[in-house]
Amino acid sequence: MTVVDALRGVGFSVEDGELFGLLGPNGAGKTTSIKILTTLLLPTSGSVRVLGFDPVREPNEVRSRVGYVFGGDRGLYDRLSALDNLRYFADVYRVPARQKAKRIAELLELVGLTGRERDRVETYSRGMRQRLHIARGLLHDPQVIFLDEPTIGLDPVGARELRETVAALRDSGKTILLTTHYMFEADELCSRVAVINKGQIVAEGTPRSLKAGVRDRTVIEVVAFNVSDAAPEAVRGLDGVESLAVEAVDQTQVLSVQSAEGAALIQPLLGTLTGAQVTSVTAREPTLEDAYVQLVSEP
Amino acid sequence: MIRAFASGLRVDLLQLIRTPFDMVGMLVWPLVFASIAYLLLGHASGERALFTASLGAAVMIMWGWVILGAGFALDTQREQGTLELVVGAPTPLVVLVSPVMISRAVFGVYGLLLTLLWGRLVFGIPVLIDDWPAFIAAGVGCILAIGTLGLIAASTFVLYRAAFYLGISLQYPVYIACGLILPFSVLPGWLRPISWLLAPTWGFRALREAASAQAPWPDIGMCFGLSVVYIAIAIPCLAVFEHLARDRATLKLA
Repeated sequence: MTVVDALRGVGFSVEDGELFGLLGPNGAGKTTSIKILTTLLLPTSGSVRVLGFDPVREPNEVRSRVGYVFGGDRGLYDRLSALDNLRYFADVYRVPARQKAKRIAELLELVGLTGRERDRVETYSRGMRQRLHIARGLLHDPQVIFLDEPTIGLDPVGARELRETVAALRDSGKTILLTTHYMFEADELCSRVAVINKGQIVAEGTPRSLKAGVRDRTVIEVVAFNVSDAAPEAVRGLDGVESLAVEAVDQTQVLSVQSAEGAALIQPLLGTLTGAQVTSVTAREPTLEDAYVQLVSEP
Repeated sequence: MIRAFASGLRVDLLQLIRTPFDMVGMLVWPLVFASIAYLLLGHASGERALFTASLGAAVMIMWGWVILGAGFALDTQREQGTLELVVGAPTPLVVLVSPVMISRAVFGVYGLLLTLLWGRLVFGIPVLIDDWPAFIAAGVGCILAIGTLGLIAASTFVLYRAAFYLGISLQYPVYIACGLILPFSVLPGWLRPISWLLAPTWGFRALREAASAQAPWPDIGMCFGLSVVYIAIAIPCLAVFEHLARDRATLKLA
């Protein structure tokens, strides 16, 4: 049996009323962190506190005070209506009987599902399911909300609506821990972020401070067809290249190169792409995503 | 907690009846079990014996649905991601898992009615219930005892990802140990004490004795007493297996 340390010495704290982002690539340890904080996993070592309670020794104290929402299609009873799902989870999460109907109506309104609450969940779009997830996670009015990649798989409109809901929760004073690998989402919503990679925190601060780490750089984006397998290595070998990310978009490859050299790097860069058909080259200011790429690309 | 239990029971029954395929599939077992029993016994054995065979078939159905249905239900919950949400709730797990078991056992009543109807219509076996109040009490006791026995098994279902297959492995051994497939006269003697620990033994006896008005109350009492014992065993078992599931990360399908 192979033992993998999903997290190694991860440490961060989230202030009351803060929307904190936990960023990282797939498998970095974001969900593992959330599951430990929500009592669903036991850490092998270390200590954790949520609102002063230990999720390992005092799980029920934590469970009654936190809400957990994850992205994707899962986490709902598909054959039941949204109303039946919410009624059940309200009872399971101990919403007082006298408040239940009012609370459900308020949440359906908040997530824009009023009028569709009697439809079976299996007839819902992914965006509607995700909004229902949010409503479910808020039923017991938790002090802390854990949102694990809530916009994953949503269309742009659905994702934007969901971000608006998250922003409204933040503005209402809820403490929120959001995991995502959409950097613009973190930039838009979070007051502070931590970047986790291979089970370790590699950076922590405000989105602005993380971007400041790459402020002296320029990002050159090259869109091309038929980029050879050897080209990325050749690009990395150029003087002044700080990092390189390659992404396949449809039939093309997009090379994002970070460098302090600015536009002066464009000619040598194109020189390494022999045989490729370059369709566009742009130079721009770095974003949080560029800072993130830099952080998770470091060995 | 009562509200959470009642709500869980409602949710599970709603999910069951909203799947026509499952409902039709559930028709098959009672008919097959009852038919085998009638054909083995034959009409020469008398109407009472055939009716008793119907009750045995109904108890087999009840246990089968509890142990297989509940395993399948928990596997489904794991796949659809609701198991994590249920375990992560502030309500004790026993309150949230027991409705799954009890709803399956309640469905056993549906199996019992189907069995009796099939016996009446196809094999001409009359419904011979001499003490209706006791029979109803025996039915309730049987549901509770079998459902709560399933609850002990459910504690392992929370931990292991192949709950359904574990359920299969527990189905026939209990039928045999309780004398529901073969009479005790042909089974090894050491199985008898084991049968005394198992709910289907007493559930079947309670139904049989109530139907023939032969002092059923001790057996009915055993059903309720065993239910209390099973719950007392299931609560710490569920706590231990929940802890192990959190430790081994098996609440979710990877």
